[in-house]
Amino acid sequence: MNSPANNRSEQMEIDASARWPVLVFFGSALLWLLLGGVMQLAAAMQLHQPGLLAADEWTTHGRLAPAAQNALVYGWGMNAAFAFGLWLMARLSATTLRHGGWLFVAAKFWNLGVTLGVLGILGGYSTSFELLEMPRFVSLILLAAYALIGVWAVTTFSIRNTENVYASQWYLFGAAFWFPWLYAIAQVMLFKAPVRGVLQPVVNAWYAHGLYNLWFVPVALTAAYYFLPKILGKPVANYYLAPLAFWWLAITSAFAGGSRLIGAPVPVWIPTLGIAANMLVVVAVVIIGLNLFGTLAGRQAEARNSLTLRFIIISLVSFVLAAVMNLALSMRGFAATVQFTVFDGLRDWLTFYACFSTAMFGAAYFMLPRLTGREWRSPALIKAHFGATALGVGLMIAGLTYAGWIQGKLLNDAAVPFAEITKAMAPWFAYRTVVLGLLLLGHVAFLINFLGMACPFNFAKVPDALFRAPPDLSPEAHAPVGHSLKGVGP
Amino acid sequence: MSANDSNFRVEQSGASDDSIQQVHARLLATKPEKADGYSKLPLVVLGLMCSAIFFGSIYLAHFSLRFDPLVYSERANREKPGAVKIVPLTRAQLGKKVFDTTCLACHQANGLGVPGQYPPLVATEWVTGNEERMIRIVLHGLNGPITVNGKEYNNVMAPLGAVLKDEQIANVLSYIRASWGNSAPEVLPETVAKVRAETSSRTTFWTAAELLKIGN
Ligand code: HEC
Repeated sequence: MNSPANNRSEQMEIDASARWPVLVFFGSALLWLLLGGVMQLAAAMQLHQPGLLAADEWTTHGRLAPAAQNALVYGWGMNAAFAFGLWLMARLSATTLRHGGWLFVAAKFWNLGVTLGVLGILGGYSTSFELLEMPRFVSLILLAAYALIGVWAVTTFSIRNTENVYASQWYLFGAAFWFPWLYAIAQVMLFKAPVRGVLQPVVNAWYAHGLYNLWFVPVALTAAYYFLPKILGKPVANYYLAPLAFWWLAITSAFAGGSRLIGAPVPVWIPTLGIAANMLVVVAVVIIGLNLFGTLAGRQAEARNSLTLRFIIISLVSFVLAAVMNLALSMRGFAATVQFTVFDGLRDWLTFYACFSTAMFGAAYFMLPRLTGREWRSPALIKAHFGATALGVGLMIAGLTYAGWIQGKLLNDAAVPFAEITKAMAPWFAYRTVVLGLLLLGHVAFLINFLGMACPFNFAKVPDALFRAPPDLSPEAHAPVGHSLKGVGP
Repeated sequence: MSANDSNFRVEQSGASDDSIQQVHARLLATKPEKADGYSKLPLVVLGLMCSAIFFGSIYLAHFSLRFDPLVYSERANREKPGAVKIVPLTRAQLGKKVFDTTCLACHQANGLGVPGQYPPLVATEWVTGNEERMIRIVLHGLNGPITVNGKEYNNVMAPLGAVLKDEQIANVLSYIRASWGNSAPEVLPETVAKVRAETSSRTTFWTAAELLKIGN
């Protein structure tokens, strides 16, 4: 093995090659996070202030809400995943990111696509399919841009200089293939050669569930599997179970989308298959929990000292909660009460925001100082960001779970008139607006800190010695017998 | 937040990427062993997998309804097509539809009527008493003072004999007599036909006083 010093300079070379592509992707991601967040806030406000922005058709709720959703998912989510994924792929492949210029082109096109898509939705050209609202032509731009990015990730992997492949790479690699597969199939089956009648919502549900659970969740798990051993310097607990969890999750999640259609006018075996798949997903979640929480066990104090790990812990807890929620919403009796309430929206929010986005925040706090060679400027802003996120996620989960239950009870009571329910929910919609506002404040703090660090006029370069040379991963003192890994490597 | 600030500004790594990959590759290649014999974990995971598959397949077998593309409800009949038994409806069940379309407007869905205007149909001597009177009311209508459950009414109920067939009248009366806590025997279409024949010459509404003379 290379001496640590050697290792470090090699690493710096890799980070340097990834610097600009990653910064461009991540910078765009943050702009979308803010823009989407503002639109989301306005759309949320319209639910309790119906007069807000209602005069202009561009900003009516029916357009603003999907525009916000798409800006967040394709603008923030995908860009952030690209930034993190490309960087980690290069690092774990121990090779530089070659010809980064092409990635700029890809980033340009991707963001052009998202911009046109969001404007198209606001302009009234949206399709009626959840998460696929962008006008049809946009999908071609997005797919072309994605092709470039995906090819980069895959080539980087295939010219890797390492003999071993780690769990994070499985998840990244899987996600890299699943997204284009899901997106292309959904486009063909809904727009190019549309399937008929009840099959359309089935394809839509399959896509929406897949996008969240086979793209965003794997990327979040990539981060968790990487940063826990990386920062704690401790191997993943019960790692031998990890491959099983990966395959199990991949296969069962792919079938779970039907559970979104409980009670819908589709052949009943489709939701039933989805429900059964959601029962099976539990196995993967338990193993991943054993892996990752097992790694954390006994090292809580250290984890608390690491900002990255704090975010990763929020992400992991949310991952488990999201799985529980998917299962709960799969229970027909429970779904009968909460299916069409704010609780249902919480499910995807939990996956996308509380699990995926927080993982990306955590990754950014680790990755960006290494890419720019600069420190975060303001600890106060960091604390504001983390505090807002932790508080916001907690409030959102607790509040909307309760509100959803109340709303479901009222909706199922034929004696309560609908206007009455709307009135009863108004305070909860306001509550949601407040929480979204809190999260947005955190994002603003993060953006300011990011700009302070990434700004080209920031000459306050910090000495390289800031990063200590990482020691080799040492197996724990309580490692299993027969695992004396002291002499790992040549 | 107690953590020291410098750690928040730059995360330090605790292991090199290279060693992470190597150590974990080793962990995969060798079987897990515990110092005190063997680990129970693989067994627990295996058990979890088996029970998840077991419950999943039972659920699937039970609620997929033979993967029939034409079945849209998980509560649909589980019998094979062709093995389905026809369940005959009772007269009372058939009569609900007639009640909803012809009587509900006045006597209300709960059969309690409207105080002072339309008398109730729940536990009244007219409903649970002699069926011939009821049949006559529906056939030729009713007007003038009437006492129902101790309350006075003086209103008009229009004749429905021309609108409703014998079968429908029998059904709706059976429905009334079996609903809202009432439990009087069914009314048969033959009885309605008999009464219709007996009173075929009648052109005016009945009065309560007239009806009380019948069937004592
Ligand atoms: C237009 C309104 C109206 C409709 C329709 C109507 N009823 Fe009546 N019904 C009345 C009124 C009014 C009385 C009391 C008449 C009186 O005051 O003499 C009455 C009395 C009766 C009574 C006797 C008193 C009692 O409450 O026990 C019966 C039985 C009855 N109706 C059954 C029926 C049935 C069966 C139907 C449907 C096939 C029907 N009614 C449809 C208005 C209506």
